[in-house]
Amino acid sequence: MGLSMNKLTPKLVVEGLCHHYPDEYTGESVHALEDINLELYEGELVSVVGPSGCGKSTLLNILAGLLPYKVGKASVDGELIQGPGPDRGVVFQEHAILPWRTVAKNIGHGLEIKKIPEVERIQRVQDFIDLVGLSGFEDKYPHELSGGMKQRCQVARTLCADPVVMLMDEPFAAVDAQTRITLQEELNRIAMATRKTILFITHAVDEAAFLGDRCVVFSARPGQLKEIVTIDIPREKRIWADMNNNDVFKTARDRILKSVREEVLVATEE
Amino acid sequence: MQPRSKLEKFIWSLQQLMKIDAMNLVILVIVTLIGWSIISESIDNPGRYLPSPVAVALSSVDMLVKGLLPSYFSDTLVRLIVGSAIGLVAGIPFGLILGLNRTVADMFHPMLNFFQSVSGIAIFPIIVIWYGNSDTTVLIVIVYTSFFPIAFNVLSGVREIPLRYINAARTLGASRYQVTKDVLFPGAMPHIATGTRLSIGFAWRAVIAGEMLAGRQGLGWMIFTGQDSDKTTEIILGMVMIGFTWIILDHYLLRPLEESTIERWGLVQR
Repeated sequence: MGLSMNKLTPKLVVEGLCHHYPDEYTGESVHALEDINLELYEGELVSVVGPSGCGKSTLLNILAGLLPYKVGKASVDGELIQGPGPDRGVVFQEHAILPWRTVAKNIGHGLEIKKIPEVERIQRVQDFIDLVGLSGFEDKYPHELSGGMKQRCQVARTLCADPVVMLMDEPFAAVDAQTRITLQEELNRIAMATRKTILFITHAVDEAAFLGDRCVVFSARPGQLKEIVTIDIPREKRIWADMNNNDVFKTARDRILKSVREEVLVATEE
Repeated sequence: MQPRSKLEKFIWSLQQLMKIDAMNLVILVIVTLIGWSIISESIDNPGRYLPSPVAVALSSVDMLVKGLLPSYFSDTLVRLIVGSAIGLVAGIPFGLILGLNRTVADMFHPMLNFFQSVSGIAIFPIIVIWYGNSDTTVLIVIVYTSFFPIAFNVLSGVREIPLRYINAARTLGASRYQVTKDVLFPGAMPHIATGTRLSIGFAWRAVIAGEMLAGRQGLGWMIFTGQDSDKTTEIILGMVMIGFTWIILDHYLLRPLEESTIERWGLVQR
C-alpha cells in the first residue's frame, strides 16, 4: 500500500444515504440515490465514476451541504452534515471563481471569511499560488485566465481554506485533452504534497483509475454503489507516460470500464 | 513620436481619439449654429419665435451679470444631487435585500417594473395634493423617479448572479451577510452602475418638470416663466443649459463609472 491509512478514524462517513425527489414534470418519485454506504480515510483520494444521471453529482451536492437529505447519515470528522461549511471544500465543474476578484483575492477568500489577519493570509495565499503553479498571475482577473488556470485557481482556493475533505465535481471535464492530462498529474502531485482527503467525481474511467486510491462505481439510476476497485499504485509512480506499462493500472481501468459499460447499457435500455 | 510604455500608448491613443471627437464636435456645433442663424434670419419676428444664437448669447451674458443664471443653475443642480442621492442610497439596499430571497424577488419584480414605468410627472398631481407647490413636492418626485430604476436594476442584477458563485462562497463557510457583501453586491455592480446612470437621467428630467409644475426657482422655472414673459431667448438658453449639463454629467461621470466596472471584470468583451 502506497499510503499509510488510519483505518480507525474515517474522515468522511456516509451511511444508508437515500435521496428521492418528485420529478419536475410527472411528479413521480425519482430515486437518485439508494442506500449509499461509503467511508473516506485520511489522505485518501476516492474517485467516483458512473453513467450520467446516476446520482454522483447529487451525492456531492449533499456532502457539500447544498442539497438537504432526509434518509441516512453523512458526517465529516464525526459531525453530521447540515448545510455548507468550511470543513468541506468544493471544486465545481464550471469555474466558480468570482470574476470581480483577482486570482490572489479569490484564493484568499476562504481565509477572509474566517477573518484570518491579512499578513498571515497573504503568506498562505502565496504558498497555494505556488503549489498550483499560478505564480505571476496573482493580480490577474479570471477572464484573463485559460480554462486550465481557472480550475487551478479553484483548487488553490479550496485548499487554502484548509478543509477536512475536498470534494471535486468533474473539475477537469470542461478543459481540453492536453490540459486535462497535465491537471490530473498536478492533482496527483498536490494530493501527495498536501495529503488531503479527496472525493473526486468523474465520468472518465481513465481519470478515475489514474487518480483514485479506490474507485467507486455507481450503478445506473437508482444510484447505488456497485463496486469499489482498489488501485494500489504509489502516488509518486502515477505518471501518464508510465501508465501504459503499468499492469495494476491497466487491470483496474479495464475492470472499471467493464463495470461502467454494463451500467451505461442498463441506462440506455430504459 | 514612438509610444513606449503601455500607459504612454494608452494616453497617445486617447489623445488621437479626442482630436477626432473634438473636431467632429466643433464641425457639428458650427453647422448647427449656421443653420439656426439662417432660419432665425429668414422668419418674421425672430425675437418671439426663434432668436438667433447671438441674441441667446447676449441674453446669457445679461443673466450672468445679474446673477440669475448661476442662481437658477445651482438651485436645479442641488435638487438633482440631493434628490438622486437619496433615491440611490435608498434604492440600492432595497434592491439588494429583495434580491436575497428568490421568492421575494420574483414577487416584487413586477411591482418595481410597474412603478418604474409610472414616471415622475405622472405622480406629480397626487404629491401636489399631499404637499402643495413646495420644494418638498419637487424633492419627493425626484427621489421617486431615481429610486425605482436603481432598485429594479439592482434586483435584476442580483437575480442574474450565477448560483455557482453563491454556492462557492457558501461552501467556503460564508454567512448570509458575507455572501451579500462578497458576492451579491459586487456581482450586481454592473447593474448598479447602469441603474445609477438611468436613475440620474430620469431624475434630471424630473427636476426640470418639477420646477415647472411646482413653480420653484431653477432652470425649469426659468424656461417656464420665459413663456409668460415672452423671453424666448431665456427659454432657449435654459434648454441649451439642460442639454449641456446632462452631456457633461453623463460623459465625464456616469459613463466612465459604468464602463470601468463592466470592463474591468471582463463581463463584456471588447
